[in-house]
Amino acid sequence: MFSQNIIKELTNIVGRDNILTKREDLICYSYDATNQKFLPDVVVFPRGAEEISLILKMANFEDFPVIPRGAGSGFSGGSLPVEGGVVVSLERMNRILNIDTENLTAVVEPGVVTGEFQAEVESLGLFYPPDPSSLKFCTIGGNVAECAGGPRAVKYGVTKDYVLGLEVVLPTGETINTGAQTLKGVVGYDLTKLFVGSEGTLGIVTKIILKLLPLPATTKTMLAAFPDMKNAARAASSIISSKIIPSTMEFIDKNCVKCVEDYLNIGLPIDTDAILLIETDGDKDLAEKEADAMRKICLDNSAIEVKTAKDKREVKELWKARRAISPSLKKLNPDKINEDIVVPRNKIPDAIAGIQKIAEKYNLTIANFGHAGDGNIHVNVMIDKSNKDELSNAQKAVEEIFKLTLNLGGTISGEHGIGISKMPYIGMELSPAAIDVMKRVKQVFDPKGILNPGKIFPKGRE
Amino acid sequence: MSLSSLSTLNSQLSNCVLCGTCRSVCPTFGVINREPASARGKVSLCSAFLNKEITLSERFIKHINECVLCAACEENCPNDVPVIDIILAARQEIFKKGKTDFSRIAVSKFFGSEKIGRNALKVASKIQNIFFKQVPEESGLHRRFPLPFVHGKRLAPRLAEKFFLEDRRQKTEVRSKKDKSQPRIGFFAGCLINYIYPNIGEASLNVLEKAGAFVVVPLDQSCCGMPAIGIGDIEGAKRLALKNLEAFEKYELEYIATACATCGDGLKKRFKELLADEGEDLQKRVENFSSKVRDITELLVNDLGIRQSPVSGLRSPVSIVTYHDPCHLSRGQGIKDEPRKLIEMSGHNFKEMKNPCKCCGMGGSFNITNYEFSMEINRKKALDIKSTGADIAATTCPGCIMQIKDGLHQLGVKAKVVHVVELITLNN
Repeated sequence: MFSQNIIKELTNIVGRDNILTKREDLICYSYDATNQKFLPDVVVFPRGAEEISLILKMANFEDFPVIPRGAGSGFSGGSLPVEGGVVVSLERMNRILNIDTENLTAVVEPGVVTGEFQAEVESLGLFYPPDPSSLKFCTIGGNVAECAGGPRAVKYGVTKDYVLGLEVVLPTGETINTGAQTLKGVVGYDLTKLFVGSEGTLGIVTKIILKLLPLPATTKTMLAAFPDMKNAARAASSIISSKIIPSTMEFIDKNCVKCVEDYLNIGLPIDTDAILLIETDGDKDLAEKEADAMRKICLDNSAIEVKTAKDKREVKELWKARRAISPSLKKLNPDKINEDIVVPRNKIPDAIAGIQKIAEKYNLTIANFGHAGDGNIHVNVMIDKSNKDELSNAQKAVEEIFKLTLNLGGTISGEHGIGISKMPYIGMELSPAAIDVMKRVKQVFDPKGILNPGKIFPKGRE
Repeated sequence: MSLSSLSTLNSQLSNCVLCGTCRSVCPTFGVINREPASARGKVSLCSAFLNKEITLSERFIKHINECVLCAACEENCPNDVPVIDIILAARQEIFKKGKTDFSRIAVSKFFGSEKIGRNALKVASKIQNIFFKQVPEESGLHRRFPLPFVHGKRLAPRLAEKFFLEDRRQKTEVRSKKDKSQPRIGFFAGCLINYIYPNIGEASLNVLEKAGAFVVVPLDQSCCGMPAIGIGDIEGAKRLALKNLEAFEKYELEYIATACATCGDGLKKRFKELLADEGEDLQKRVENFSSKVRDITELLVNDLGIRQSPVSGLRSPVSIVTYHDPCHLSRGQGIKDEPRKLIEMSGHNFKEMKNPCKCCGMGGSFNITNYEFSMEINRKKALDIKSTGADIAATTCPGCIMQIKDGLHQLGVKAKVVHVVELITLNN
């Protein structure tokens, strides 16, 4: 499909050093954290919107797929070139363009690593809360594409709550600006919100205007161990219903605790059924008051022990452990089907109990962890895909878990996106009319279907 | 067991879930910012090679060689993928097929062969002033005209007038008189101390003796073999391991000390792996040898239990000292506290740098084959040292010393770069 002419043209656009066509290089851009592989035909590293615009115009003319890519750390296959084509890696566009300490905003390029941006603003006493577990290596562009969340969502919200505006190259090659540098703005449709979470199917984001907050003065971190997951879930619900909003409230089941303790050896209580990792932040007195109240609620809900982190190092260790759960689950079984369902927060105990029943019914190992504070549960069905029975049971189990989620008033993906992994299930949540209008939106933006084809909607490219 | 062939590592390769954590810690990725530089990329390439999707192509070799073997990826990998063993196995494949490039082989052979190395370097030491000029106020050299393997910017180390082991030969290989209660220690010099930094060797012997030890320096010791392992020359490394084994077995020793982090890592871990399939008898001998190996800092602090005694009488002015953790000591041998304790004992003021465990970029022959790349990695280290405001940057690996000296020189930072043991003797 890729003629020498196209490659020559692409080379002219990005420069000889910024295009890869050798198989050895293409292999390194064929995967993401879903552990699936699709070989692209070409990888390019553009420097900005102008080059991307030329590439997209050419793609419309020559009819080849273009797939934007950040760090390739997504969990739903958003950056995978499922139909081949040109991967547009945004790794080179990694500058923080401006941090405005007077208006508390920042402008960044999409390839900026989330954690590095956070460190930068924190050194100025500012705060960018969205904290996906991959924050040390994922990029803000990827976070925008998938509308990434994280533990702090319970108090601070997710990526979309911080994006004030964007510079986007449309699939047809025009560059537009959405939103504004200001907190308010209602001129025209809110395209910013439409792009955030559109999984790289509506445009390629080239600049992002972000909202910042003042960095909280204190953070209190504590760990509560429970004899039973139900107690932990109840404690989490009681904390919310007692009108305390912790800055994070993570739960970790015993399977996850075992895997991650095996990796880090930091002395997590492995003989308990569930752990809550809770943080509160803000003014010192208030944070301490809230921490005391939450400790009491945990103990009232049969917590075996509640420990407060002594220093920054302990806090860092606890978070390293929390963030390592997902990849370290491989210790349970070679393959993972990971879902990120969300239920209303008071329904967490019901969801956990229901998932447990489904696991028993299909004789599967299911490891759960996630954000008790916002109802987002990472359900990991751990299987060996070479075992066909187990695979088919797992698929049935996933479907039942989604049914359960929707019956509880939830949604089937909180922060990973649909991509290709959840594509078969989108119809369980969305009505045909809703899917149809979304497809028509896609059609308006990308009439030829060249941008990130084969994602979100089961029928794929149309 | 490692140093295995790539095919035997197949299941470990599939343990990589492609999460991308390695991207956040890899020094080569930090410079290139492209996926093939990350461990995840290299592991994928090795899998693809095993699946016959690619061959030992130039591109494959380039990506496999662009690694400093610092093991930061391994340390942070949630699934314990043995990345270093995988890369070394891939380099074995490359070496076996005769596709290792000449400069890499040259470096390893130079150190690995006594005749070539010692004689060539002896000549080089005499004539180095023809090719290089002394850099004012620096203990290093700049080339006078273009030379193979010597980059124009490089602050090359001056070769010793008298090599460490050669010097010993003229005195006596047994330094101190035997006293039954004294711990008996064999000193393993390693190439860089032998040829370039004999002062570190001397300082080590002095400290050990002051700590009450009886020190032997076996003269027929060789290169530790790490450069050979690094290019995948397992047979070459095996020969060296055997020679060293024999050299040290002649003496009844309680400990074998080294002041080179890389040598220490090799002697402790790699010898066993190299000689694993050579029969039970040999295995026992290696086991016995390796169990005695200590980095000089751990030997002094843990085994000889030195306290304040060897460092009393601080003479030189009190300096601010920062410490760089060599990859082969901190990650390779798990030693981080002991060098810091010694610095504290030295009476100087210790100031921790940012990211002390981040690789200096040396990576053995990587520094010769990919000089500019290697210095780009080093730049971050040099800046971290600079921002401590330290007068002295101490470390425990002569390779790191060479690299950090060069980096600081290019940045115009005046801090001295020394081995931790030199701080102790300096003040005596």
